[in-house]
Amino acid sequence: MDLANYKKVWKDQPEEKNKISSLEIYKMTQSRSISIAKWIFMIGLIEFIFWFFINYLATKNGVLKPYEELNLMTFLNYTNYLQYIVVVLFLLLFYRNFSSVSAVDNTKTLMKKILLVRKTVKWYVYYNLISVVVFSIILNILIFNSPNALSVLYNINSSSIDQTQMITIIIITQVVMIVLMLLILWLFYYLLYGILLKKLNKNYLELTKLSEI
Amino acid sequence: MQKELEKKFLNDFEKNQNIVHKVCRVYTTNQDQHNDLFQEITIQVWKNYSKFRGEAKFSTWMYRVALNTAISLYRKSTRSIKTQDFDDVSFKIKSIDYDDTKDQQLKALYTGIRGLSDIEKALIFLYLEDKPYKEIATTLGITEVNARVKMNRAKDKLKKSLNS
Repeated sequence: MDLANYKKVWKDQPEEKNKISSLEIYKMTQSRSISIAKWIFMIGLIEFIFWFFINYLATKNGVLKPYEELNLMTFLNYTNYLQYIVVVLFLLLFYRNFSSVSAVDNTKTLMKKILLVRKTVKWYVYYNLISVVVFSIILNILIFNSPNALSVLYNINSSSIDQTQMITIIIITQVVMIVLMLLILWLFYYLLYGILLKKLNKNYLELTKLSEI
Repeated sequence: MQKELEKKFLNDFEKNQNIVHKVCRVYTTNQDQHNDLFQEITIQVWKNYSKFRGEAKFSTWMYRVALNTAISLYRKSTRSIKTQDFDDVSFKIKSIDYDDTKDQQLKALYTGIRGLSDIEKALIFLYLEDKPYKEIATTLGITEVNARVKMNRAKDKLKKSLNS
């Protein structure tokens, strides 16, 4: 049978038997959306709060105490101010991108906008990861340039131990920890967003590929 | 003002709800998913209703919102596993005016469409609903030429599945 005949079958199909009443439709409008955009927005918000808290706890819990003794507080304070400014900027961008998502757009634009909301969070996470690495490098340079650093930070009597060996061990430990952390985070994000955006990415690719014909 | 808008929306939506049911049938395979998608589309249409200026027909505008929701915004719920597939139960829109042969053909058509990709489903759906290529292209955000190329491929795929 030809598709044109199927078109006729389609047109003749009876209307839905379980018609939804006005009252039911009204009730539905009052319920919460479970759309992918909303999910990404909520998860994104949690990520912002998570990274902000990690930062906040580090400063409040006395983790930074030894750095006071090494006169690194000005450096740490400025880094913190910078961090807050960046978080606010990212949050504004994130909210603006989310608000622009509208089901009235054409399909391609809509998908692009949803992916942009996700990308904002991705940039924020990248910013955090890169800043952790850069921050650690700068801090290490500053610490190891200070003569009494090891005794202040690790309670080690600097005369009783081979300093070069100690520094090597500390650096290797730090590198391993950072790589491990990055790996865990990558896996977490890969799974979380991979599952959530699989369908969207596939559809977006199909539509963009189409434009290249 | 809000009450008036609500009333107008409910009236428009109720009259055109069959479009939404058809989109749900194309994009979902069981009753739970159908209901979830229907609800999400209702929310999206209502959320954007104040932006609907009436320059286009309400139904035309609703096609776009419904398809967008099905393709890009809707996430299949996990509870769907518990319920039976549409194919297992008697096709729920069956009516006395509709004979068995036609019912079988309609079933086959839905099964064929469900085997297509999300974008192809939208193309075929709009073709079956007699939408012009210009409208199909603007709805999806692609050029008319691309819409035609992709439509031909989708039709071929559907024909193959219907004839197999």
